[in-house]
Amino acid sequence: MSAADAADAAAFLALPFAAAVLFVLIHAWFGVHVLRRNLIFADLALAQLSALGATVAFALGYPPTGGAGFAYALLFTALGAALLTASRGLVRHISQEAFVGILYVTATAATVLAVDRSPQGAEHVKAILIGSILTVGPEEVGKLALLYAAIGLCHYLARRPLTALSADSAGAHSLAVMAWDFFFFLSFGVVVTSSVATAGVLLVFSFLIVPAVIGSLYARTLAFVLPIAWATGIVAGAFGLAGSFVLDVSTGAAMVIAFAAMLAAAGLAKALIFVPPQRRRRHWRAAGTVLAAAPCGIVLASSLWLMAYPQADQPGLAAFERLSGLVPARFLSASDRDTFESAERDAVRFSGEVVRLDARERALRVDAPLPDEEVRRIASYQQTFNEMARGERFVLGVLRAKARARERWIVGAPAALGALIGLALIARPWRRRQGGENAQSSRLA
Amino acid sequence: MRVVRIALVLAAVAAAPACVMAGARVVATTADLAALARAIAGEPIEGEPAPGEPVAVDTVETIVPAGVDAEAFEPRPGDIEKLRHADIIVRIGLGYDYWLDRLLAQAGNRRVTRGGDGYVDGSAGIALLEVRGESVVNEGGHSHGAANPHYWLDPQNAVIITGGIAEALIGLTPAAREAIVSRRARFLAALAARMAGWRERAAAFAGAKLIAYHDSWPYFARRFRLDLIDFIEPKPGVAASPAHLARLVAAGRAQGVRAVLHEPYEPAQTARFVAARLGVPMVVLAPSVGSMPGTGDYLGLIDANVTALAKTLGEGAR
Repeated sequence: MSAADAADAAAFLALPFAAAVLFVLIHAWFGVHVLRRNLIFADLALAQLSALGATVAFALGYPPTGGAGFAYALLFTALGAALLTASRGLVRHISQEAFVGILYVTATAATVLAVDRSPQGAEHVKAILIGSILTVGPEEVGKLALLYAAIGLCHYLARRPLTALSADSAGAHSLAVMAWDFFFFLSFGVVVTSSVATAGVLLVFSFLIVPAVIGSLYARTLAFVLPIAWATGIVAGAFGLAGSFVLDVSTGAAMVIAFAAMLAAAGLAKALIFVPPQRRRRHWRAAGTVLAAAPCGIVLASSLWLMAYPQADQPGLAAFERLSGLVPARFLSASDRDTFESAERDAVRFSGEVVRLDARERALRVDAPLPDEEVRRIASYQQTFNEMARGERFVLGVLRAKARARERWIVGAPAALGALIGLALIARPWRRRQGGENAQSSRLA
Repeated sequence: MRVVRIALVLAAVAAAPACVMAGARVVATTADLAALARAIAGEPIEGEPAPGEPVAVDTVETIVPAGVDAEAFEPRPGDIEKLRHADIIVRIGLGYDYWLDRLLAQAGNRRVTRGGDGYVDGSAGIALLEVRGESVVNEGGHSHGAANPHYWLDPQNAVIITGGIAEALIGLTPAAREAIVSRRARFLAALAARMAGWRERAAAFAGAKLIAYHDSWPYFARRFRLDLIDFIEPKPGVAASPAHLARLVAAGRAQGVRAVLHEPYEPAQTARFVAARLGVPMVVLAPSVGSMPGTGDYLGLIDANVTALAKTLGEGAR
């Protein structure tokens, strides 16, 4: 690895990580409030309104990244903040979340209509959905840091009224409450607008909600919830980034999955480790039972499915075949097995030919481009090979169905029986214990 | 077969002469095909009016507005109306404008559905590149193969595309045959003249190694001898992974890539990032007529792209 390549790798991960840390710090704070207010999707509504503002600016002929674009986005976000503030009065009649949902779909539909007037605004909308935290620039991270520091400071100074506001869901609406509410939603809107442009809607939602949920699982007061949320959020972000690099997958999607995995791990840890000792033992036992019963249940379900519809897709059996090497060909007659194996080989070979022809044409493109006639010939060879590969796959399908019809009883019945015995064995001690506990409690009564 | 069909059309024409005089209503799925249809049968070419010619075409309409990504296009009710009154439909095919099939089914205009006299698939007869896998869309019983659909970006293919359009036009309005043939000849002469210039200018940057955002330029690259080593987003819609970007930048550096190609409706952030890491310029190319200023017609489209590349890679950049 040359120095330049090493610098690339560092640049690929350092800046996105810095951005992720910033996002976690500010979003977890808002997330805690949003959770307490039961307004989970307010961020989507506000982000969509700001996207609408940017699209309207684009339709009017302003570049989306310029000052006018930002001003329009801010204006629409403020409108959203005002509407959300006003919706506090609705709490007595309907859930505020219903209103948030209506706001979201309306803003999305309006964006589609606005895009219609400005074709290339579509790119902007698509970018907002997907985001690109991987390619965040240093100046962008600097700007985000400044913005979030300013908003964080304001919120730190106003933490008492804001926390009181989130705790009180009864819907009091004096003028002061309304003013604080508007301030909350406006700053929330500004944060979400900036983060969605970089990280995309999905990832921002994860930053906002998942760390706050984990923090709320473990603690009640803000002084504990926030540090837990920050720490787990930053760890999840780091895992997501590293996973995306190692597994070679999209960064935003990998990070969302990492956040979900973090939540699952935190939930498990809460149930199995951070509980009083006597309940802990019960939880471990339950976990053991589930862990043993789940594979039995899956085997039972797939073997019943195999016996009922051998010709249908058999995901359970296919996974077993892959793991054990017990391929369907084993259940075929010698001649059928030969056909199956040669069809498998040929399907791979034909697909390989298509790629090889492509590479040949591509390699000659620069120095001595093939004449059109030759390209046409290659294309028709490729079409032929594609058709032949498809034919082989059809043969494979037919033979696999034949093999499955034989496996139906030979494999299906013993597997189902084994799974049933397993389930019975698991259920027995559990039932005995359950019975014992019931007897104990009735004696006590 | 064709003779019989033309004879039948002639018979029909003889029976209803009023139809002939009206001229055909042509609907094209993309602005590029519309521009080619206009070039051979509608508006004067390069300021050269042609008075006294019989009218072959009344209107040429486009379904996908200029500058909109045809693969991400959502049809509107007005589009069905266009198809209902169309005499000729010109499409890209190869699954690129896949939404047309459902529109045609809804419009219920037999003349322009697959197999009708007014149905022109521009990809017919093109020397296709990258015929990989099978097409998702089954086009009339046989699999077309999912070839790369961006064939209009090779100006030489305009000869074949306009041939298909002209044939359908003549079938519909045989009286305008002479006019259509001579218009097409004039357009092809203009194309050939420009082609010589383009090739001369492109020779200055022949063999240049480039990275593109999507795989939209193989036909263009083949004609002008560009070497597209890799793509930022090989699977459209799936954002690139950091490992892919790292490989891309490493390969770009090792092979001496000279620019990153970008289209106006692709997300610019990643392309800018790769270009910055490689220290090379980002060239914005127009994928279709009307998607950028100065690409109002077909010749302008090719000219703008060759000029953009020449400006960055050729003439002044050496």
